[in-house]
Amino acid sequence: MNLLVAALCGILYFIGTSRLGYGLSQATGSPIFYGLILGLVYGEVEKGLIIGATIQLIYIGIIFTGGNMPADQSLAGIIAIPIALQTGMNVEVAVGLAVPFGILGIFIDQLRRITNSYWVSKAEKYAQVMDTRKIFHCAITYPTITIFLLTFTPVFVITLFGANAVTSIMNILPQGIIDGFSVAGGILPALGFAIIIMVIGKREIMPYFFIGFFLVAYLKVDVMAAAAFGFCVAALTMFNSIKQKQKEVN
Amino acid sequence: MSSNLDEIQKQRELTNRDLMKTYARWYLSVEVSNSYERLQALAFCNALSGSLKKLYKDDDQGYREALIRHLQFYNSEGTFGAVIHGVVLSMEEEKAKSKDSSDSLSEEVITGFKTGLMGPIAGIGDTLIWGTLKPIILALASSLALSGLFIGGIVPFLFPLAVILIGYGMMKSGYLLGKDSVTKLMKSGLINNLINSASILGLFMMGALSSTYIKVSTPLEFSFKNAEPIVIQDILDQILVGILPLAAVFGIYFYFKLRGQYYNRLIMWLIVISLITGFFGILQGS
Repeated sequence: MNLLVAALCGILYFIGTSRLGYGLSQATGSPIFYGLILGLVYGEVEKGLIIGATIQLIYIGIIFTGGNMPADQSLAGIIAIPIALQTGMNVEVAVGLAVPFGILGIFIDQLRRITNSYWVSKAEKYAQVMDTRKIFHCAITYPTITIFLLTFTPVFVITLFGANAVTSIMNILPQGIIDGFSVAGGILPALGFAIIIMVIGKREIMPYFFIGFFLVAYLKVDVMAAAAFGFCVAALTMFNSIKQKQKEVN
Repeated sequence: MSSNLDEIQKQRELTNRDLMKTYARWYLSVEVSNSYERLQALAFCNALSGSLKKLYKDDDQGYREALIRHLQFYNSEGTFGAVIHGVVLSMEEEKAKSKDSSDSLSEEVITGFKTGLMGPIAGIGDTLIWGTLKPIILALASSLALSGLFIGGIVPFLFPLAVILIGYGMMKSGYLLGKDSVTKLMKSGLINNLINSASILGLFMMGALSSTYIKVSTPLEFSFKNAEPIVIQDILDQILVGILPLAAVFGIYFYFKLRGQYYNRLIMWLIVISLITGFFGILQGS
């Protein structure tokens, strides 16, 4: 892969995981966004978007409880998308390639948080002498430089040399394995949805999950229409319970 | 309500500009300096430092103590959690004003409020922001992108935009309403109501998304002599459409419930199972 593209991937991954801006990483580090940018680079916007969205769906339900990253959608995307676009692999295999990197990314995040402990202890000293400029650097500047080194380097190296290795592996991959990856790509989104149910699924409101599910399964309602119905149902329950509360007060 | 708050703001030390600066610093650094030891503490201190300087104008000792105070362990959800920053600023303002009198606000009250509220607020924020808003926006982006539409790559940016607007609003109202009103609001049924409704919307959407995006079926068929082949998927569909995707979601759900959330171990298992069932043609991903 050419140097410029590899450098671009390294920079995109750095921006996507720098965490500058709360929740901004969900956009700048989204595999869909990577798919768009890299699709433009390779002149295959549609394919880039489709691979990006397929990878995104696997990680759609991820929540960072207590700041712990359960999987790294950005690393999964930034490795798989350019290699897939360059070697012309199909979407299923790209997903199979993405998932191991989604796990590997966790270690990069853990390294970052371990090094950050050092900056907190530094900042404590600066607080004693009320040097808020230095506290600012400890909170933003130094960790950002560290994360640049931690993120740019591995992605640059893997995307630079990975495509050739992947092409030679792909040539010997039997169809059975590709079918297996296709099953994985189909099942893995269930993981994210299950996690969200863990967070918000109280027993007495679980039927709403099934209403949504069977609305699509039997009536083939599309996602936006489901969102419209869901919003109305949620609004109705909200108004009703407010009314009930007022009755209790009176 | 808003004109009321404007009235309150006129009597207060910090202007909108100060609050925006504080929020901008928080927004930028909240996860950047996150560490295992203190989590978001450094970001909290960094965010408040400018406003604290203004509140403790000539009181170096008070300012130093405040900086050190806010380097203590802190962790909450960043968007809704900004209400805590607001309230803490209002408490610091009170403390700075009454430093010479005997009934001055003690450090324990401020820290107690912070640590007492960070847990419950994180629960609210995780439900509303990360459990409902985020997956809905990303699902919308995904479905646009899957149809090859350019805009799908841009839609994820709606999420940080919403976070900025909600977060700043939370911080400002926290500052202006103060500790008692916020505590009262937390205890009133209103917040519970909101969470309940958002959870309903969230669950409803998770159901719809599960059905749309989990793609698994079985290609198995048994053929007998002189008879139509028996297609297993047809039988499953007659029982319940979407029975396999549903089994996948709840299989994972109960695994987490019973075994704990070992995310990566489960991903490994899912891949192994997928490879085996895919290889032997027991399941297919469509």
